[in-house]
Amino acid sequence: MSSPRRLHPAAVFFNLIKSLREMIFLFILGFITFREQGFLYFLMVAFFIVILMILFHALAWYRFTYRVEENELRIEYGIFIRRKRYISKNRIQSIDLTAGVIHRIFKLVKVQIETAGSGTEAEGSLSAVTLGEGERLRSELKQRKKSAEEEVEEAEENNDPSFTISFKRLFLAGSTSSSIGIILAFFVVAFSEIEQFIPDEVYSNAIDWVVSLSLILIAAFIVFILIMIWLLGIAGTMIKYGNFTITNRKSELFITRGLLEKKQITIPLNRIQAVGIQESMIRQPLGYAAVFAEVAGGSQEKGEDFSTILFPMIKKTEIAPFLQEILPGYAKLPEVWEPLPKKALKYYLFRSMLPFILLGAAVIWFFPSFIWLAIILFAISFLLGWQRYKDGGFALKGNMLMVKYRVFGKNTMLIYHRRIQAFEKKQHLMHRRENLATMELSIIGKFGAGKHYKLKEMKVSNTDELSDWYSYRGKLNMNKKDNQRGMK
Amino acid sequence: MRQPPRNAIAKDAIKVWKITGAIFTGFLLLAAVIIATVSYFNGYTYWFTVIAIMITLLSALLFIFILPKLRWRRWRYEVFEQEIYIQYGILIVSRTLVPMIRVQHVDTKQGPILKGYSLATVTVSTAATTHEIPALLEEDASELRDRISALARVDEDDV
Repeated sequence: MSSPRRLHPAAVFFNLIKSLREMIFLFILGFITFREQGFLYFLMVAFFIVILMILFHALAWYRFTYRVEENELRIEYGIFIRRKRYISKNRIQSIDLTAGVIHRIFKLVKVQIETAGSGTEAEGSLSAVTLGEGERLRSELKQRKKSAEEEVEEAEENNDPSFTISFKRLFLAGSTSSSIGIILAFFVVAFSEIEQFIPDEVYSNAIDWVVSLSLILIAAFIVFILIMIWLLGIAGTMIKYGNFTITNRKSELFITRGLLEKKQITIPLNRIQAVGIQESMIRQPLGYAAVFAEVAGGSQEKGEDFSTILFPMIKKTEIAPFLQEILPGYAKLPEVWEPLPKKALKYYLFRSMLPFILLGAAVIWFFPSFIWLAIILFAISFLLGWQRYKDGGFALKGNMLMVKYRVFGKNTMLIYHRRIQAFEKKQHLMHRRENLATMELSIIGKFGAGKHYKLKEMKVSNTDELSDWYSYRGKLNMNKKDNQRGMK
Repeated sequence: MRQPPRNAIAKDAIKVWKITGAIFTGFLLLAAVIIATVSYFNGYTYWFTVIAIMITLLSALLFIFILPKLRWRRWRYEVFEQEIYIQYGILIVSRTLVPMIRVQHVDTKQGPILKGYSLATVTVSTAATTHEIPALLEEDASELRDRISALARVDEDDV
């Protein structure tokens, strides 16, 4: 495939829609301004601009060529300024094929080629090629030259371990997505006999007119809105993660997902920096969690998460078998965690309660009759602080460090020694007196930025133990061995 | 991480930080003067002026007389063959380990004040973090930079 190729002509259409969408604000502004006078001129100008844009994009399409040559993807583009971009095969980290709704009508895909660079956009982007062409390009640009043996393996793709989300699971994931949090919080407050708590003067004063609208009507309306939010949450999850399938293809993970927009994501195993398990507050009591990975490099796309979801909804008991199949290197969840020392509890409580103490004070000062609200917030923040303390901890297993902590949901991170970029121990005056320390680990995150994990107020002996484990002094060889083991 | 790193940074760092603090305080003083003038001509309450002056005095005390010395005393570093070990922080003491094989690049940099004292700052970057060893003697800094860069040239495994 050394001859230069053009994109599918539909690319003109896609790019046109994209730039029209960017300009829609201008059009609306123009429409409003010229609505009364000179509307005809406005229409003419707008029409002219659209024609110009079509010409521009057609020309851009004509000038945009790509080819694979000498182990490089060579893209040439630009109307007035000719640009050539050569991406070496060896530098390509991932090749993603995405098909939006319109793409799927024409059986087209968008190809995004990413290197380790930290730009906000994919380094190489082909907005529309036919599905066959996209897949051919991908197999051609695959990083490594395959041995015959691997070629065979590739052919028997069905043998690769693979997990697909069931519809029931997906529905459950949607109905417990974050939007339900808002609703739950609302219901808890709303139905705990709220009327008892609302003091009389509120009725008689400023809220009078609201009451006159009939409380029932308003309540019904709010409930309706909340149910809508909830249903939208379900729909959103279904659309995003519909048909979610993850396959372990020896040197890479392959994910396809999406009901309307079909997305194929390839994650080379050696780009995975850490694996995490997140149990959100709603899913945790049900025994469910999401598994995700921190992948280095990559680009920032609209609607893209910071972490790559490896499985959106999984029973906690299924995680170990899942990792065993998909990422055997990470399939060693510990049973025993080193907890935080008792002395740490007061710091955790203080941190989570402080904003609410201030807020509560403000409430008591300005709206003394709403003191019950302050008390509820206070209790919640106390529980949260307590839970954060209980859920903090670490475990060491060979060359892997596992850290668990809670922000709102509970996170468990599995990080290999060689993936940790820097190790930091922090202590302030009170920490030093109480033999406590905060540990911070840094790994490479997406978009070339670092990702940092903190475990606050550990025993100082624990941080020292971990720093000894991390320190490379006099054990460079051991680390080399780890590297090989870690790869497998 | 039980023992602090061994090497201190150049003693002139204190002077550099004092000058930086003085410049910062100078800006605060300027702001205070403007506030005082505006309040005077518009007849605002003199409390604005008092608060502005208090802030200026406090920052002078902190950033010129107290903190530079404490900061210098805390700042330590040590470069091993396999890793870099640094300690810094006045209230919160941080100790950081940066393995050589994680180092992506090393820079030295020098602003006008540092140059005045023949000092330079070494910056060590990994793929995820950036670490600074401020105010070393120029020759120490460039030697350190070359040394780290040489040590960091260990056989690279994948990122």
